Amino acid sequence: MVSFKLVRRYLGKHKVRSILTIGSLVVALFLLCMLRSLVVALDAGVRGAKRDRLVVQSAVSLFVDLPQSYQSKIAAVEGIETICKWQWFGGRHPTEEAFFAQFAVDMSELPKLYPEIAIVEGSFADVAAERRGCVVGRTLAKTFNWQLGQTVPLLGTIFPGPPGDGWQFTIKAIYEPTSSAVDGNTLFFHWDYFEETVESTMGMTPGTGTYFLRTAPDADQVAIAGAVEQLFDNGPQRVTCSTEAEFQAQFVSMVGNVPFFVAAIGGGVLIAIVLACINTMLMAFREQLHDAGILKAVGFTDGSVAGLMLAESLLLCGLGGFGGIALAKLSEPGLRAALGSMFPGYEVTGETLLLASALTLAVGLVAGVVPALRARALRVVEALRSVE
Amino acid sequence: MLVPITYTLRSLFVRRSATFLTVLGIGATVAVLAGVLALRAGFTTLFVQNGRDDVAVFLRQGATSEGESGITRETCDRLIKTLPQIAKAGGPEGAPLAAMECYLAVRRNKLDGGGETNVPIRGVEAASLAIRGDALRFVEGRALQFGSDEVVVGRKLVDRIESCRLGDVVQLNTTPFRVVGIFECDGPFESEIWGDFERMLVALQRPVANRVVAKLVPEAQGDGFEPFATMLAEGDAYQDLKVIAKTERAYLAEMTGALGTTLLVLSLALSVIMGLAATFTATNTMLSAVASRTHEIGILLSLGFRPFPIFLSFLFEALVLGLLGGAVGCLLALPINGIETGTTNFATFTEVAFAFRVTPPVLAGAITFALVLGLLGGAVPAWRAARLAPTEALRRR
Repeated sequence: MVSFKLVRRYLGKHKVRSILTIGSLVVALFLLCMLRSLVVALDAGVRGAKRDRLVVQSAVSLFVDLPQSYQSKIAAVEGIETICKWQWFGGRHPTEEAFFAQFAVDMSELPKLYPEIAIVEGSFADVAAERRGCVVGRTLAKTFNWQLGQTVPLLGTIFPGPPGDGWQFTIKAIYEPTSSAVDGNTLFFHWDYFEETVESTMGMTPGTGTYFLRTAPDADQVAIAGAVEQLFDNGPQRVTCSTEAEFQAQFVSMVGNVPFFVAAIGGGVLIAIVLACINTMLMAFREQLHDAGILKAVGFTDGSVAGLMLAESLLLCGLGGFGGIALAKLSEPGLRAALGSMFPGYEVTGETLLLASALTLAVGLVAGVVPALRARALRVVEALRSVE
Repeated sequence: MLVPITYTLRSLFVRRSATFLTVLGIGATVAVLAGVLALRAGFTTLFVQNGRDDVAVFLRQGATSEGESGITRETCDRLIKTLPQIAKAGGPEGAPLAAMECYLAVRRNKLDGGGETNVPIRGVEAASLAIRGDALRFVEGRALQFGSDEVVVGRKLVDRIESCRLGDVVQLNTTPFRVVGIFECDGPFESEIWGDFERMLVALQRPVANRVVAKLVPEAQGDGFEPFATMLAEGDAYQDLKVIAKTERAYLAEMTGALGTTLLVLSLALSVIMGLAATFTATNTMLSAVASRTHEIGILLSLGFRPFPIFLSFLFEALVLGLLGGAVGCLLALPINGIETGTTNFATFTEVAFAFRVTPPVLAGAITFALVLGLLGGAVPAWRAARLAPTEALRRR
């Protein structure tokens, strides 16, 4: 049998080396967990999508608006319970560098469409009562240190603001998303304020980028989507009606090869750390050559001497690996706040933890197997002849 | 007196399995960094190096990219017809070398089955082609015929995006456009589809142009550009148009700013984190090198070598380890040079295709990084070696 005490003593004998190896394992596993969580975060919107939400957008381009006259025609399709205009605003804060999303929406429909938007301060009623009222995510409010009742000025990059003050929004409610379908970094404001302002500054009635729909729970979504698309087959703007999941997936596919790049980086990290662990274990093996001879001489079997090497490797990698995994999990809230605007759904999932644990175990086995095999094949006389 | 270099090099050879593992470990770290840097180099060269200083881009005030910008036809006409800074084709009486362009990112399917992406479609006028001059080359088919429903496609799209081959039909809303030519053009244009400006406005139901491009007269180039831009934005004659001008180079540099910075931050963060792990490994290797040669260090000390040269000798050994690792990393990274890839540039929300470029600065950065790793990893062990007492060291075998 392998004595745990012996394993611990051997690792303790070269404290500096053990600590450095554990340290690099902590770093590597932390990095691997983080990289995977970043890729997972890309899919957040898709994962949180609901079956009964549909999105209508131009069939040509994400940047082509749909006429407002479409709204009543779409709403008339059987099975649709809620329809909400949804327009990307693309404003920039005059002083803050960080970017965040803003949408002009039918405020009365928003809570019906997204029950996942849970108000934690203020209320939808307060927003409804104020023409310039808006709802902001808690993460966003925290980032810029915004309070309820505060006015947020924005510079319109697509829609120039009214002369004088420009675009002004008053925070009347703060929400916290209850699922990854909603991003906590968004500002929603009144469609009416948007439309009236654009009419006066640009002299045209704005269209809406998308219509978000919510169907009856037992409705046939495929049939509804088909019916909506058919309405506008002959123009003026053809539309695509897709499920919320498909709609979100188009943003994921836009990032292209990024998941592959991240996997390649992760592969590089993994190779480097495996080599480092093999290196450490080979050093340990050379130093323990003499001891291994003694152990065998006093009656330890080949198997238990090999087991000793393997156990050392597993303990070393286990300590480092789980340190890294713990670090990744502990740093999750902090990193989520820091990466907020780019990776709103940053989350170290259970699957990531499991995968990282499996990798840790694999690194420990790979690093330990060569010295273990050599220790097993060791002949007592030769081992005893070697000097430390 | 310095410790002979051959002593250092031979000791690396004697402990070759440790040397080999360490060099490969550093190599993997360096290769990752070089890869990210090469990605960034490819992306920024494509945009910035190909931007021209003699071409001006006019956008609506407040817009950061042409997708957001919109300029009415009347405004475009006034700019093109009245600005003396716009060059004329074939002498002062010729037509202005300026064109209205519309720009829209349209949804297209990728050929690799990776789903939809946004491909830029540009409506151009004859002057757009004239401004590009010889930089625009048709490699297949023919040039665009204005007034008809045809498009020409950038070469980089052909193998990436559905129905972009010669003879294919690109459906825009309810109008089909036939692909009549494939073009090459330095810069980001090779990821675009071009059609007749007027036909595009009708097909896409666009009310206004997105931007005006113009070739500048020599007086408005270089140092002359700044006063021109100021005059346009603030001078009495044109202020009411609410239009701003940028050189094409400056405009393209802005388009890449965000992605370039993201990649740079990413590579810095990665190199710090991975570098930490690699430094630990190098320290381990060097510590064991010192430990296994304690007796020899004792001999060197008793022969009269001073501690400092011994310190240098071990530091040099670590630097050689780093250098070898850097070389391995560069060798690992070299094969990705020229591989084409694509990602969405979130400044324009469109996909751009570009190639990894392992440039000399990328390699230099990677080697420097590797040397720093060696230096950091070797410092403590070398210090330890130099501080050994000769009698103690000699006693250890």
